[in-house]
Amino acid sequence: MANAIDQTRRMLSLVTYLRERPGARVSEVARAFGITEAELIGDLNVLPMCGTSFRGGDLLDIDTDGERIWWHNVDDVAQPLRLAADEATALLVAARAVSALPGLREGDREALLRATSKLETAAGESADASSRLSVTFESEGSVFADVDRAVTERRRLWIRYYSPGRDALTEREVDPIRLFTVGHTYFEAWCRLSEDRRTFRLDRVAAIRILDEPSDPPPVELRDLSESLVQPAADDPEVVVEVGPGGRWVAEYYPHDRAEELPDGGLRITLRTPEPGTLKRLALRLGSDGRIVAPQSLAAAARDAARAALAQYGDRV
Amino acid sequence: MAIAKAERLMNLALCLMNTRRPLSKRELRTSVEAYHEVTGEDAFNRMFERDKDDLRELGLIIETVESADGETGYVARRDRNRLPEVSLDAEEAAALALAARVWQQARLAGAASGALQKLRAAGVPFDEGDRAGHSALEPRIPAHEPAFEDLMLAARNRRPVVFDYRKANAARAEQRQVEPWALECWHGHWYLAGWDRARGAARVFRLSRITGKVRSRAGSFTAPVPDHVDVRATVAGWAGESATTTARIRLRRDAGYPLRARALAATRADGEWDELEIPYGHGLDAWLAEFGPDVVVLAPDELRADVLERLRAVAKG
Repeated sequence: MANAIDQTRRMLSLVTYLRERPGARVSEVARAFGITEAELIGDLNVLPMCGTSFRGGDLLDIDTDGERIWWHNVDDVAQPLRLAADEATALLVAARAVSALPGLREGDREALLRATSKLETAAGESADASSRLSVTFESEGSVFADVDRAVTERRRLWIRYYSPGRDALTEREVDPIRLFTVGHTYFEAWCRLSEDRRTFRLDRVAAIRILDEPSDPPPVELRDLSESLVQPAADDPEVVVEVGPGGRWVAEYYPHDRAEELPDGGLRITLRTPEPGTLKRLALRLGSDGRIVAPQSLAAAARDAARAALAQYGDRV
Repeated sequence: MAIAKAERLMNLALCLMNTRRPLSKRELRTSVEAYHEVTGEDAFNRMFERDKDDLRELGLIIETVESADGETGYVARRDRNRLPEVSLDAEEAAALALAARVWQQARLAGAASGALQKLRAAGVPFDEGDRAGHSALEPRIPAHEPAFEDLMLAARNRRPVVFDYRKANAARAEQRQVEPWALECWHGHWYLAGWDRARGAARVFRLSRITGKVRSRAGSFTAPVPDHVDVRATVAGWAGESATTTARIRLRRDAGYPLRARALAATRADGEWDELEIPYGHGLDAWLAEFGPDVVVLAPDELRADVLERLRAVAKG
């Protein structure tokens, strides 16, 4: 029951917050605390069971008609509490990571740095452990600034983009939807070339220009960023790769359906991809650390590419 | 129905914060209703210890005081638990609110919103709606690795740990005894730096290669913790980003954009080929093999031999 901790923390802040706001609206308090009205009502049902005195019988007389919240025996039972180590760490580590992101607007960066320093002071010794976690976001500064502007000003972009699977650059016009970072920085856009939504990684943008046309993406449902960026479709072709111990990293980088242990310490990995041809590069990279088992055509394509490469060194197999 | 844990924790917190003198365990047991329901001294003692730990996780400083008659008393003094004055302007508050949404890991996400709730209760003006003029960026810190939370807590509390770890090329996992110093997220993956007791040296571990559970060890650190722990330099070295020498390759004219992007020099060679000078770091052989017949390594010989070996393995099928 990890969220009993979160609920306790929230109720302690709630008591401080409500003290200053007699008749506060349920909808506004829920929004201020980042919770649903149902969650807030849940808290308000618990608070009248909570007491301030060890003699008992001295309980918080807080009630609500579902719209407003009233505290009849308002008292100074909880002050704004000092920050816990995890709380200070969560905010400070995130703020430092975002503020170091190349391409971030100067105004945002300065506000983050000022907030970070004030928070460090307020957290006192709770801030100490925050130095034990750090996060680096990768971004291409100039590309970032252009995409950021295009998203906020709703403008169309022209990009020259590198597809590693095909080792090729393509030029296209895209209508940006959102800019996000999960380690690397990406933007999602409606691609007018493929007439589909696509995710582009900033460090693969070889050239970018903001166009005069407004961006006009069709309405799309925003995806949950906690899920893997690559979501193969159920009917995508299946690829089976067998790797030795030196190729186990494949399972860390490629979303897959199955990874079965092999007796030599390797793995048999089954994955799906819309374009199996793009995995030819993986086969070439793996060398003796792994091989494509299926489909046969992909295994043959990798073999042929390796032979063609060797021929250029005057090497025959 | 058993009294919910959040209600019990809330009551304990209010009792400890609103007493002028330390309260004994016996007094707390009579004033917190949920403790009445616990049968048996041992069960109560265990619950009481856990509850105090949980409240400390929320930032509460609970002092233990021995009274004249040898009884232990508990109190959360107001002056030690108060959040110091924090004055953030609207820009700074908006920046922090952005940082609070960054964590995808449940514990830190909860801590981040808890911190915002404390700041809000203390009067910091957060206005969720207004993002005009700010970056559109949605930053997210992934932490899918199962070992993350245990290692974060161990690094925070400076507790030695033991875990099974499979090195990049190893067939089997090996037990490692580590004093965890710091965790760092790079390219979306978490790494741990610490003192490896058996090897008597500092080591960096990739969290995704930890197999099974991370267990805490009794006792404290034996090796001094360095002032600055540079996880990134080590990991960047693994990723080939700390090259000290260069390589010369031939690259087909339309191919290999990322190789061109990091080339130190590029000239037109004969026919459809260019000649490039590129940084030669760890892993370059695997990367060049990916390009198959579009790359020919000219120098150094060692790199040429490594690429040929990979290609021969693939050509054999």
